[in-house]
Amino acid sequence: MTPLQTEHRSDVDPLLQLDDVRTHFKTERGRVRAVDGVSLTLRRGRALGIVGESGSGKTVLSRTIMGLLPSTAEVTGSIRYSGTELIGRGRGGMRGFWGREMSMVFQNPMVSLNPVMKVGEQIAEPLRLHLGMSRSDAKATATRLLTDVRIPEPERRIDQYPHELSGGMRQRVMIAIALACGPSLLFADEPTTALDVTVQAQILELIAEQRRDRNMSVVLVTHDLGVVAGHTDDIAVMYGGKLVETAPTTLLFSEMRMPYTMSLLRSIPRLDDPSHTRLPVIAGRPPDLVAPPSGCRFAPRCAYARERCHQEEPPLVPTSHPDHLYACWYPVGSDEFNEREADLVRSGAVPVAIARGEQK
Amino acid sequence: MNYLFQRLAMAVMLLLAVSALTFGGMNLLGDPLFNILGPVAADTSNPTSVAKIDAAKEKYYLDRPLPERYVRWLGDMVTGDFGVQFSSTGEPPVTNLLKERTPRTFQLLVLAQFMATAISIPWALIAAARVRRPTDRISTVTSFLLIALPNFALGIILKYLLGIKLGWFPLTYTASDPFFSRLHQLILPALTIALPAAAVYQRLLRTDLVTTLQEDFILMARSKGVPRRRVLVRHALRPSLFSFITVFGINTGALIGGSLIVETIFRVPGLGSAIVEAILREDFPVVLAIVMIATTTFVLVNIAVDLLYSVLDPRVRR
Amino acid sequence: MSEPSAETGVTVPMAAEPGRVQRRIGIGFWLSMSWIVLVVLAAVLAPWLPLKDPDANYIVTGTRPPYGPSWTHPFGTDQDARDLFSRVIFGARTSLIIGFVAISFGMIIGGGLGIIAGYYRKWVDRTISVVMLILLSFPALILAILITSLIDRGLFTISVTLGILAIAPVGRLARAATLSFAEREFVTAARSLGASNGRIIVRELLPNVVIPMAALALLGMAVAIVAEGGLAFLGLSIEKGFTWGKLILYGAGARDLERAPWISFAPILVLFITVLALNYAGDRIRDYFDVKEISL
Repeated sequence: MTPLQTEHRSDVDPLLQLDDVRTHFKTERGRVRAVDGVSLTLRRGRALGIVGESGSGKTVLSRTIMGLLPSTAEVTGSIRYSGTELIGRGRGGMRGFWGREMSMVFQNPMVSLNPVMKVGEQIAEPLRLHLGMSRSDAKATATRLLTDVRIPEPERRIDQYPHELSGGMRQRVMIAIALACGPSLLFADEPTTALDVTVQAQILELIAEQRRDRNMSVVLVTHDLGVVAGHTDDIAVMYGGKLVETAPTTLLFSEMRMPYTMSLLRSIPRLDDPSHTRLPVIAGRPPDLVAPPSGCRFAPRCAYARERCHQEEPPLVPTSHPDHLYACWYPVGSDEFNEREADLVRSGAVPVAIARGEQK
Repeated sequence: MNYLFQRLAMAVMLLLAVSALTFGGMNLLGDPLFNILGPVAADTSNPTSVAKIDAAKEKYYLDRPLPERYVRWLGDMVTGDFGVQFSSTGEPPVTNLLKERTPRTFQLLVLAQFMATAISIPWALIAAARVRRPTDRISTVTSFLLIALPNFALGIILKYLLGIKLGWFPLTYTASDPFFSRLHQLILPALTIALPAAAVYQRLLRTDLVTTLQEDFILMARSKGVPRRRVLVRHALRPSLFSFITVFGINTGALIGGSLIVETIFRVPGLGSAIVEAILREDFPVVLAIVMIATTTFVLVNIAVDLLYSVLDPRVRR
Repeated sequence: MSEPSAETGVTVPMAAEPGRVQRRIGIGFWLSMSWIVLVVLAAVLAPWLPLKDPDANYIVTGTRPPYGPSWTHPFGTDQDARDLFSRVIFGARTSLIIGFVAISFGMIIGGGLGIIAGYYRKWVDRTISVVMLILLSFPALILAILITSLIDRGLFTISVTLGILAIAPVGRLARAATLSFAEREFVTAARSLGASNGRIIVRELLPNVVIPMAALALLGMAVAIVAEGGLAFLGLSIEKGFTWGKLILYGAGARDLERAPWISFAPILVLFITVLALNYAGDRIRDYFDVKEISL
């Protein structure tokens, strides 16, 4: 992780810059504010984790950047990809970026590969379309890509259909497809959720390794703070369509400010937990994005919320560290927070303390 | 392989049942002797008539019990001999008639199915690409109208519009014309059969395409930067073809029925007109032969459809 | 319900809207039913309506029929100067009777067989299913031609013949519907209360199978009316009297079509609208009651 951090300081030119991005869907019930004013920056070669529950807008955000949204979506704000504005390009305008500049690995490898096309054809397709390779060149490159993603016997696998491969193998194929044309930006949307625990780590490691080899940026979208912990440089926590906390990964884990981030962290099962420990879950459901609550969107579910949280929406403000932003009136560590925490601990509602500075 | 064997066994059983029913029904309800000889059959007082009756009975095995006659007929049919037409002279053989008529109906049906496929696939692709938008709604209404329109009505409308008013196609079929003019003459009848079939296929295929287009692998294909049209044709079409080809097979039966009427409207002397004439004359061997051809074709097309599944979807391959 | 969008393949992945499928039968259904009622009424009341005599020749001296549509003959006349408007209405009598008798026959026999197959299962089901399969593998029209030519071409024979064609499709639907109901609680309850099989079939199953059957009945009636038209084109429709099919055939020759298209087109129009109305109403009932498409 360290060499990359030094690299990021020298690399000032951002690959991706989002400014007040809003993605709204017109539905019969009204306007669904799926993404509501997100600004962030991603530098070349860096890995960003977007973390949140389902319904937080993280998947929509990644698809907004890719431009892979249904026609009911309205996107405003600015998304600059190495200086080029992406919003308003339309589908035709985005196609030039897909596969070549940015590509995506989807959640469920079982249903994300075309069941009636050979694996090799599916990898070769973008090569032939974007790089104009001949059939045989594309096939050779596809075989090499399969080797890159550590699939044994690539020459045999290339002529197989997806149903003949295991789940982990299919996810590797998806990664090979996404990497085929050497994109600068890779989105991985819950890439390991559908996989066995043992395979999950391998896939994450593979993505990290390819990122280093190709100096590619990665956006890792997940609900699991545990997944991003070891594999990203920065983390953006989303809730109700908004960013609620962003920070370099190490900083976030050592000095998290947002009670929501803390709740997410607490919901990760830990190996050193005694067995049968009940996992604390965040009570309640993510907010209705048609009529979001006034004030802080997390307030209705927040154990530390006070009157002000329900009235006024907290802005995203930096801590002493300029890269660490959070949106909370009474952040973790504040007097009001500590007071409430003490009450909660006394009543036995929360585990005694959150481990601070927890890092791999 | 085992599965194919089962299907074939089933098909043979079915053909046996159909042939036995037709054979039995015609012989019990009709009067074969009368149909061969005409009024002579009832004239048992005249020795010449009696001689003719005896000869005919001998020739057509009419003095034998029905099951025996069926088995004889069946044995002949399996070897490709459909017997002779019912007539006092016993000539000509049914096979001659079939050789002349079958290719025309076959050409008509193949052309019709080809047209139906050629129309319905692009139609469904366009509708599915614009699902629930005006284009799609218009297409849904159009297919509903076409499906409800009886084929004889469509035949007359096409004959009037394309044949008489616009004069693009000839109104009748001339058997002695060269191949390509006959093909030209077959376009109007084929279109009459094809349009409603295309509407049926389109409706099914559109529904399946819309479902497929919501699959994750379509989004995946798009995110690879595959152009829209190619996503539709290369990625969505093939996994969506199952209902289409199933109904393509089942519909063959309906088209065979429809071709009878269409052949009459456009005066194509094919199997359709042959069976109508034969039924009116109660020329049982001809009727039987054509029923068997129609049913066998139907059964075979459906078996072929079953085999096509495995070509389309590698997952059902064994 | 999230709005799936085919052009992108994205299902909007958030904030589930409450899923309510619109369950209205719609104005189209009532329009269709109105037309059907109108046609049926006109057909039933035809002898008492102020119509021209369908068999009289309204020749205007000094001119040669056929006459085009006019105030006196709204649909025009045929080659024999017979009024097409009243002929279409009188034709409706025969066509509708054929459609009605055919589908009733199909419903009673096919529905009965289907329910029995679905209720008793085992060898009863297997036997009935094989019979249906055989019926289905005859090209329908050929079967109709066979029967009519071997028996006679009276109104009753033709109707029953077309009814036989309806047996297999109706039977399959009834069987499928019965299968899905036979294991429901109310049937099990009735059985545990000691109800006889016959009583369960009539009192518990029949009422539930009737709705999908009603949808099929409307579609089937349309099919039967069309099939009669097909027989007419083969010269195999009823010998006496006239039907829509026969009326259409009268004007279907190339010369007549060119000279006087209305002879064919007037009955085609009425037949088409009727068939459309039957189809549409049947479709709506099926959708409204959420009946699965089982084949027709």
